[in-house]
Amino acid sequence: MSRHSAINRFGRSSNPAFSRGFEGHTESLPLSERMTLDGAVNKTGILLALCFSGAAIGWNIPALMFPAAIVGFILAMVTIFRSKEKAGSTAPLYALSQGIFLGGITLMYENMFDGIAIQAIGLTFGILASLLVCYKSGLIKPTENFRLMIAAGIGGIFILYMVSFIMSFFGSGISLLSPTNGSLMSIGLSLGIVCFASLSLVLDFDFIEQGAEDGLPKYMEWYGAFSLMVTLIWLYLEILRLLSKMRSR
Amino acid sequence: MNTIFFSVLAIFSLFVFMNLGKIKASKKQTDRDDRINRFGSRKARGNQKKTHSTIIEGEAEVIDDEDKK
Repeated sequence: MSRHSAINRFGRSSNPAFSRGFEGHTESLPLSERMTLDGAVNKTGILLALCFSGAAIGWNIPALMFPAAIVGFILAMVTIFRSKEKAGSTAPLYALSQGIFLGGITLMYENMFDGIAIQAIGLTFGILASLLVCYKSGLIKPTENFRLMIAAGIGGIFILYMVSFIMSFFGSGISLLSPTNGSLMSIGLSLGIVCFASLSLVLDFDFIEQGAEDGLPKYMEWYGAFSLMVTLIWLYLEILRLLSKMRSR
Repeated sequence: MNTIFFSVLAIFSLFVFMNLGKIKASKKQTDRDDRINRFGSRKARGNQKKTHSTIIEGEAEVIDDEDKK
């Protein structure tokens, strides 16, 4: 290994998922086949429209909720781990199926707490817009340490979810995660999770911005829009849970 | 009233996202040394500085005490 290649190597991110398959490849692409900010935002708009359409179906036919959630989960795994190139076909299907799931679960919450759905939708998009302003203006600067902090937090939340999921098979669960638990501890936990989900949006914005700067292949517009949708759906669900806990007090 | 407020918030936020999202981020955001290097295209500026030579080229001169006088 020459001295310069060592410098290049250690100057890069250690995460192979973000560096694999793009080096030296993007320069040969014509401009029309490169990722752009416009394209990524428009595709996010398409996915949001599909998600709302799915939500209308799920709201009217709640029985489709759980099959749609499973289909959405499988499609997300396929998009992330198998084929980013096919995000153009898997991401719209993911948005539609998750929309059906969100429609059903929103109806459940709405039956318990009147008017909670529109509050959660307003807050989700409010957070999206305000964090986008903060990111574009340079008020929030995502760094490697910032990414590490978010990754560690999400890892902890994932473990908590998994423990609760496994405990549910034995007729138990973590009461702090229950949407009807109005204790301060439970609300604090939900608030923390909402913070992590919100800050994950900043990483998604940065991913799209850098992808457009570096001229990644066009299909990465779909992948960027997909990653934004995953975060938005998570954020919406957590806000629903937080609001229901606050209403239960 | 509650419903109208949150509906307006959602629509306004979506409008902001669809318009602001297409604008490039400020220089303050993009021209940073500590930016995440996602696709391996950015080399750390610190590393570039290290490769510059710190030796000043030129002819060596002998300085005598007599010259000072």
